[in-house]
Amino acid sequence: MAFEIPKIRYTGKIQEVAVGTGKRAVRVGGASCYPFYRFEGEMPNPTRVAFEVWDHRPEDWQEWAVEPYKDVIHDPVAWAKKSIDAYGAEVIALQLKSADPNGMDRPADEVVRVVQDVVNAIDVPLIIWGTANDEKDADLLRKAAEVCEGKNVAIGPVSEKNYKQIGAMAIGYGQIVMASTPIDVNLAKQLNILLGNLGMPDEKVLMDPTTGGIGYGLEYSYSVIERDRMAALTQEDVKLQHPVICNLAHEVWKTRESRLKREDDEKLGDELKRSILMESITAMSLAIAGADIVIMRHPESAKLVKEMIGELMK
Amino acid sequence: MPVYTIKFLPDDRAATASDGENLLEIAMRSDVHINASCGGNGTCGKCRVKVMRGKTSAPMHPKVSSKDYDEGFRLACMTTVHGEAVVEIPLESQVDRSALRRKAGGSRVLSSFSSTDFIKGWAIDPAVSKRYIELQRPSVDDNVSDLRRLEREFQAKYGRADIAIDFSVLKTLNRTFRDAGWKVTVTVVESGRGVEIINVEPGNTEDRNYSIVFDIGTTTVCAQILDLASCSVVKIAEHRDNGLDLCTLAESSDYNSQIRYGEDVISRIMYAQKEGGLEELQKAVIRTMNGLISELLGMGNIRAEDVSHIVCAGNTTMTHLLLGICPKYIMLAPYTPVMTTGVSGAAASGAIGSSRVCGDNSADTSSSGIIIPPVRAKEIGVTLNENARLYVFPCVSSYVGGDIVAGVIGSGMFQKENVTLYMDIGTNGEVVLGNKDWLMCASCSAGPAFEGGGIKFGMRAGKGAIEQARIHPVTYEPMVLTIGRTKPAGICGSGLIDIVAGLIETGLIDQNGKFRRDRDTERVRHGEDGYEYVVCYAPESRIERDIVITEVDIDNLVRTKAAIYAGCKVLLDNAGLSYSELEKVIIAGGFGHYIDVERAQVIGLLPELPLERFIFVGNGSLLGARLFSFSKGFLNQAERVARNMTNIELSNSKSFVDEFVAAMFLPHTDQSLFPGVMERLRNGG
Repeated sequence: MAFEIPKIRYTGKIQEVAVGTGKRAVRVGGASCYPFYRFEGEMPNPTRVAFEVWDHRPEDWQEWAVEPYKDVIHDPVAWAKKSIDAYGAEVIALQLKSADPNGMDRPADEVVRVVQDVVNAIDVPLIIWGTANDEKDADLLRKAAEVCEGKNVAIGPVSEKNYKQIGAMAIGYGQIVMASTPIDVNLAKQLNILLGNLGMPDEKVLMDPTTGGIGYGLEYSYSVIERDRMAALTQEDVKLQHPVICNLAHEVWKTRESRLKREDDEKLGDELKRSILMESITAMSLAIAGADIVIMRHPESAKLVKEMIGELMK
Repeated sequence: MPVYTIKFLPDDRAATASDGENLLEIAMRSDVHINASCGGNGTCGKCRVKVMRGKTSAPMHPKVSSKDYDEGFRLACMTTVHGEAVVEIPLESQVDRSALRRKAGGSRVLSSFSSTDFIKGWAIDPAVSKRYIELQRPSVDDNVSDLRRLEREFQAKYGRADIAIDFSVLKTLNRTFRDAGWKVTVTVVESGRGVEIINVEPGNTEDRNYSIVFDIGTTTVCAQILDLASCSVVKIAEHRDNGLDLCTLAESSDYNSQIRYGEDVISRIMYAQKEGGLEELQKAVIRTMNGLISELLGMGNIRAEDVSHIVCAGNTTMTHLLLGICPKYIMLAPYTPVMTTGVSGAAASGAIGSSRVCGDNSADTSSSGIIIPPVRAKEIGVTLNENARLYVFPCVSSYVGGDIVAGVIGSGMFQKENVTLYMDIGTNGEVVLGNKDWLMCASCSAGPAFEGGGIKFGMRAGKGAIEQARIHPVTYEPMVLTIGRTKPAGICGSGLIDIVAGLIETGLIDQNGKFRRDRDTERVRHGEDGYEYVVCYAPESRIERDIVITEVDIDNLVRTKAAIYAGCKVLLDNAGLSYSELEKVIIAGGFGHYIDVERAQVIGLLPELPLERFIFVGNGSLLGARLFSFSKGFLNQAERVARNMTNIELSNSKSFVDEFVAAMFLPHTDQSLFPGVMERLRNGG
């Protein structure tokens, strides 16, 4: 008898979520097998790479991170457009960094104008990432949901503390929420239940399990995403059957290893190559664990990751 | 006693009641909502009902005009039933009848079932007993010593040769014999070393033999006084209604005075290491015990000298502190207590489920190991007579103590063929799983929420504590009953379970225990500790403050119940069992006189199993302590149970943390474990 590869029997399926509208809308999730295990089931949508754009000129980026965007970095709209036109971004992730109460603390109304400008200027799906400050986000993201009416954007991070305020607006304006929990399967599930109780449709929820960069806690994120997927696909845990998004760029690019130059430590080698590898390996690891959207910074690392996903999806 | 059917309108729900029962209590039991906020004290006047038909009695009341009274209006809390009756609940509760039409409630509330029926095959045979002896007067022909004279009679009468006598008794022996005309009663203690005479008193006092049993908790000390003499002829083995509960004369409880030195065992252990700290802590708990002793003696009109022994069950730290032994290394890894052996003169031998309870006395030759004889109560400061002996239950490990061993003994689970889960919902939350062949235990470090600790208006189950509560699904008005039916002073564990279950059933809180602010009720408001629900407004309370339950309280409760549920789950996993395989779940704890199983399931404290599998024993430790003083066979039995119990250390268990987080939700993150609760919540919300 011929050898038969043992196969896992899946009983669940990841919810398919559509982000954006029109021709360039993107679908994520929908898998009925572990990531890229296409010999065991269906994986209709590849992992998507979202390009991050900041709502304000970043102050502390490495020059080799600024380089690809140096002509547009002061202007979020131009930045987003360049990412799409020059680097092939299929999704834009707008980081509302300037609203952070621990930083510039720009008023919500001012920041929301940037959101409005960006969403109106692009035709690819938009992800809007707040400050991760529960109170500020409650205000900021509600307003963002409002100004993006009809655009089917993803807003987050939504936490246990502010899910009601943001969730209600997201339901009202038909937006997607990104439910964020601190690296724990049960907490992730609890927030999804709470959102469900609020009336959030299942096809409007993405999960953010909290991301660490390589060497800075990636393994925790990896195992939690893996466990989320196992529960979702093999234990029929409906409340975990949501696509996963990983906001990894700012985690990777703030590490010491992506900041040091070759002259600081010869052993570390070329800084650009090193940073790109750190970002792409982080992204790829998360994709293999089960991430459906990875938010990235450098066009080169994004390119590497897309190529590899393309190979795996062949 | 006659049983009547009471029909409630407009729900059209029937309940059975016995003669003289209180109408509000009947309604509470049958899940019929009647607004009531004064705890059944007759002051709030909210529980107005109309008696349409039937014989009831209620005094005239200022809240009911004489015209209304004539029409049949009554306050439910002041009304007792004396025949079949039809009662209408007017207006305010009729707002939405569909919401009320839930599954008709059977008897879902378990009263404390503190009987010694659980245990089979034992006889009254106290370790400390009194024996009446008539001695021959000495004469020229018979002039052996006084002691030899006693020895001769005792041996002749009881056939025992292994007799010892306490040195102090000798000093007064000659006078006692002669003053009493050679008719005396000797008090003897039996232990692994044989029989010891600890007292000789004039005349026949065999019928005056009492014992006091203590449950020494970190928060609360409970005590009962037992009359051993009147039970002495009762042979229990054959009778189911053994009448043993009649022996219980009186019980009382008080906060452990050690509380002022710290709320939990760790802070007590820290304090014990200070200069003189250990002595202070020992004195404090003895002070509490002495207070309870004099209260109990007063209640029963009993003389101190007639109490021959005391039995104490406490957790390992409390046991150490009671005996004045330094508990320092209990809190330092690898957590070693000084001793776990019981202070009882008994040794462990044989298997846990050994059928030889009866007559399996201390002369067991197969026993081995170091025994600790009972100590003189006076020696550690207990104010009783010179001779009373103090017995202490053996412990299992640093964090599973004698209170749990006592509970296992009292619940009889160590004799059963089928697997039982025993849950002691106290400060720590200890759980035991097993049967006659094996026992496993774990300590969940649950916290004192169910004893009122960490709850703003929490209190122990004493007078004025809200012990049962319902919340109306439409008006959100509460219906509360208090212990002693006085104005509410606080909330005890059972009330807390009811209130939080009510909040979630009515949708006032979410599954994460946070208040919803979109509900039309003034009772949910923003207070000094965040959002809260007003259970009882100041004018109706005994403390003249609004009694509320806050989000912080709910958080603490959720944490506590999660630790207990997770501890049980890990224990079951270790044994390779699931909840559904449990034959019985025995619940013990001082959180109230009742537990509403269905509501405890709503909050996810108890697993969703059929009601008949649950038994509530109230204070399980006292139950075991009672058996300990009734029959000396249990001394060895307890030693055996303690030594054969496998302790699962949850602090090292990774799966415990996972299970704990999963259980930190109402009822649970894994909703498939509570299908019935989820169904009800969906229908209710």
